[in-house]
Amino acid sequence: MLPKVFARYLHIHSSCWAAEKSLLASLRKKTGYTFTNCKKALELHSNDLVHAEKWLNQQAQALGWSKATKLEGRQTTQGLVAVAINNTNATIVEVNCETDFVARNRTFQEMAEIAAQTCLRFTEQQSHITKPLTKINLDSDELCKLQAANGKTLSEQLILMIGSLGENATLRRAVCFKADNDIHLSAYAHPSGMQQNNVLLGRLGGLVAIRPKNEKEVDIEVLGKNLCQHVVGMDPKKIGTSDDEPASNVDDETCFIYQEYIVDDSITVNEVLNENDVEIVDYKRFECGENINNSSPLSTIETCQ
Amino acid sequence: MASLIYGKISNFSVLKSFHHIIFNTESILSSKKSPILQVVTSRNGQKRFYATEKKVYQRTKPHCNVGTIGHVDHGKTTLTAAITKVLSDQKLAEAKKYTDIDNAPEEKARGITINVAHVEYQTSSRHYAHTDCPGHADYIKNMITGAAQMDGAILVVAATDGVMPQTREHLLLAKQIGVNHIVVFINKVDAADAEMVELVEMEIRELMSEMGFDGDNVPVISGSALYALDGKDPEVGSKAILKLLDEVDKYIPTPTRELDKPFLLPVEHVYSIPGRGTVVTGRLERGVVKKGAECEFVGYTKKLKSTISGIEMFHQILDEAQAGDQLGALVRGVKRDDLRRGMVMCKPGSVKSNDHIEAQVYILNKEEGGRSKPFTSFIQMQMFCRTWDCSCQVVIPEKEMVMPGEDSKLILKMIRPMVLEQGQRFTLRDGNLTLGTGVVTTVLPKLSEQERQTITEGKKAREKRLAADGGK
Repeated sequence: MLPKVFARYLHIHSSCWAAEKSLLASLRKKTGYTFTNCKKALELHSNDLVHAEKWLNQQAQALGWSKATKLEGRQTTQGLVAVAINNTNATIVEVNCETDFVARNRTFQEMAEIAAQTCLRFTEQQSHITKPLTKINLDSDELCKLQAANGKTLSEQLILMIGSLGENATLRRAVCFKADNDIHLSAYAHPSGMQQNNVLLGRLGGLVAIRPKNEKEVDIEVLGKNLCQHVVGMDPKKIGTSDDEPASNVDDETCFIYQEYIVDDSITVNEVLNENDVEIVDYKRFECGENINNSSPLSTIETCQ
Repeated sequence: MASLIYGKISNFSVLKSFHHIIFNTESILSSKKSPILQVVTSRNGQKRFYATEKKVYQRTKPHCNVGTIGHVDHGKTTLTAAITKVLSDQKLAEAKKYTDIDNAPEEKARGITINVAHVEYQTSSRHYAHTDCPGHADYIKNMITGAAQMDGAILVVAATDGVMPQTREHLLLAKQIGVNHIVVFINKVDAADAEMVELVEMEIRELMSEMGFDGDNVPVISGSALYALDGKDPEVGSKAILKLLDEVDKYIPTPTRELDKPFLLPVEHVYSIPGRGTVVTGRLERGVVKKGAECEFVGYTKKLKSTISGIEMFHQILDEAQAGDQLGALVRGVKRDDLRRGMVMCKPGSVKSNDHIEAQVYILNKEEGGRSKPFTSFIQMQMFCRTWDCSCQVVIPEKEMVMPGEDSKLILKMIRPMVLEQGQRFTLRDGNLTLGTGVVTTVLPKLSEQERQTITEGKKAREKRLAADGGK
């Protein structure tokens, strides 16, 4: 290959060139920014590694912006759903990207984690308006404005990630739960197993709020998690009350309490609830890339059922 | 007998559910036939004539399936367009424009049947089908259902950006689908300098070694697909493309053809013909059988040796049958009752029966005729493969449940050992539903007698046993 031969020629005949090359390599290795940008940084700062790195980090936001503007409008249907819980606060967030390769990447998973942590902190700061459970819906714009722990807004954080991954990404939606002390919150993400500091990540996610009706001894952790897995797996459309009629075909049942329990299909959810003497206060399920009808404007605070 | 009929019926419906795949491939193949004059009547009654010259496909060169993997903006499609452009100059391909490849609507349709092969071309030594990897989940689905198979891959990396964080995931996919031969193309060298190209090459070799490929010996070619497409600077343009194809020719091995493998015939029926002996019928899946060859029957925990004393096809005597032939074979010294549908007749020692496997399975969603609900570990399913079926227990190793429309790794424990090998495709059914289709990825050690007994135990018994084990 000619360019390679050419490079080798220079390598032999100019020691200065070799030094520059190792500079570019080490800058790239250290920062992970694209070769074009690393080279530009070195050129601007006459091969001063320290200054070049500083400049790159300063430019990252701007570079990310230019990349993000370029990629804007490209469809994002893949991604992750992140769920997190802290005592009486819980949140579920959806972050989208273009390909599922990126969704499997650590950089993207970290972004989803930051988004979830930020929403959780935001929930903690909110006042508890509607008892027993305050449910806050956040849309894309509201999510972008939230401030992460490191002082950056989520949109700035997202832009940085777009800059490094070179793919369009969006913060799509989030729902936050703030509950009374006697309510137990559970989270589940599917496929299970992906976890980053208390944040569960998956293609699907769910939150369930249950309340024990009396002091009966039950393993509420396990029960909550199983019910949450049920929500994720069976996609119930509503909780349902005793007024609702069970569907004639059990496979078409969309009412939470009448569905076959996912952990044991010989019993219904209602039987599980009665046996353990708990009630379902509310639940939320996100599926990555699912259609949400935006026909009705979302009010920021929704009263619970 | 009843189970035999059941097997036949359900196999038929399995076939039916995959009919659209076959149909799709057929429609692609048929479009390659003799000149077609198509008359299309548009809505306002005007007639339009489309005359298209079609060639007959000539099988003169070995065939190989390749695919491009890489970041969305690194020029996978441009490279594909450039390859066809450069080869069309040598009359070895039909030049495709970028938009032809990128926007083909029928190839964009998602579902179980997606983009079987995008582009075909040939070099002086081989014929290629070229696929683009749309996404991880999409590709895995295609691979499992058999709609796509890659013998090797071209990894495209832009010299301007270098290795992206998600390149790791691209290589992981290659590893997962069993692609061990990757040729790297460093694209966009027109926008970079020699130094950058060299550093990108170093970086990619390092990453590939880290991911378990032979990073030091992987062929790396740099060039500009754009220049090749525009006909500019042949040194980095068309010549680089030709060099890449040359490396693909050399580095990616031609897959072994079915004909060259040791013979194997799944037994469909067994007959006893008075005065002659036992005859087994079936379609020869691979290899070549000659009259007088030694053979072995494997399946249902049995293993019988015999000799093929005669081969017949359509009531005519054959000296030699080839893969694909529907034949009857007269076998010496075995009784009809010793053999059963579901066994295989093969070259002695070439296959083993197994009862414990790891598989990658695609679970059909409701629209595709599958279940509407997810399932958890320990579910019982009926496994259909070749001419046999067998009840098995499913264990999900990496997650807690599998949703319809998802692909997953599953561990299958069968109630009896049957002939199974790596790469074997099978179908999972439950009652009258086809739940999914899969491919064997690893054969696990055989089950012990004790383990086999746990397959059929109920939920209560299992919980009791697990509790007892935990207490010890």
